[in-house]
Amino acid sequence: MTTTETVDAVVKLLAPHIGDTMARSATEAHCQKLGMAASSPPRPDQLDALLGKLGGGLNIFLGRDKSASVIGEVRQALTALEGKR
Amino acid sequence: MSATGRLPWAVAGLAGALFVGWAIAPESALYTQWLNGHRLLAIAAVLKLAYLLAGAACAFACRDHLEPGNPARPAWFLLSLGLLSTFAGQLCLAPFQIVFGKTPFPSVADIFYVLACPFLIAALLVFLNAYREAGLPLGSLLERGLLVAGVGVLAVVILRPVAATPGPLLDRILTIAYPALDLVLLVPLVLLLRMALRLRGDRAGEVWLLLLSGFVFLCAGDICFAYLQSLGEEHLDPFVHATFILGYALIAAGAERQLRILKS
Repeated sequence: MTTTETVDAVVKLLAPHIGDTMARSATEAHCQKLGMAASSPPRPDQLDALLGKLGGGLNIFLGRDKSASVIGEVRQALTALEGKR
Repeated sequence: MSATGRLPWAVAGLAGALFVGWAIAPESALYTQWLNGHRLLAIAAVLKLAYLLAGAACAFACRDHLEPGNPARPAWFLLSLGLLSTFAGQLCLAPFQIVFGKTPFPSVADIFYVLACPFLIAALLVFLNAYREAGLPLGSLLERGLLVAGVGVLAVVILRPVAATPGPLLDRILTIAYPALDLVLLVPLVLLLRMALRLRGDRAGEVWLLLLSGFVFLCAGDICFAYLQSLGEEHLDPFVHATFILGYALIAAGAERQLRILKS
């Protein structure tokens, strides 16, 4: 699973809550800051950091519980995507 | 949304249309035979009180539903204080408006209205800081500098004619203070509006578009009020009521939507 595929999977799940544009720009910005190259597979520590950053942002809009639930869904989706390979 | 849930917002829309109609066609039968100025003022007073109380309650409930340490929690609290202070101001005016059909100015209500402004400005600044910390894009330093310069130009255009008008000192201070404080509010407001446009098409975006359009109406209302008071533009009076009713209703609607998200 490449970073591009990761971003697509994350955006699909975040978009209903913060919109497609914001989900994509926030995810891509965090990936860039974490040094995740588009065509390379992200390391587990990078993925954890990405989900942590996104969870912090979602927290403001959705509150801690809902945000944790959405990030849990994202984590499951990424695990499933990884399992398909 | 259920039909009952839509009712308060349908009432706000109808009230806005009613007051705009009053400004456009004050000689029509609706405003001369059925609804005179006194009745319209009473309707406006009651609606403003209802929306302000609903907005303050929903904003406080949003604060209550966010865990301690959440950066948006103090912002919702400040917003509820700002709305509550405005409610107190409106509560001071309501007996005069409902019983006598008059709006005294200046009055004790202005203490609460002026007090509300720092709370509302602080609320928007805290929201802005929370979103910036969360990594959401809020524009470059140059864009923010241009925005401040634009607001400065707007301040000169809006405040100069108001400041040049003679009158009692307290009246002049207040008529300048309201639009001046709104212009300060405009800076975080525009930055948040940019962010809200990026959020459009989802539930959080809906919250922010409602809240921020409410603030835009409040700014417009204060500017209309300043012109009304200082330049004697009485024909603007119905517009002032329409903008305030819509402003309070939109802010209450935004806070209610946010509360629904937090409860879901």
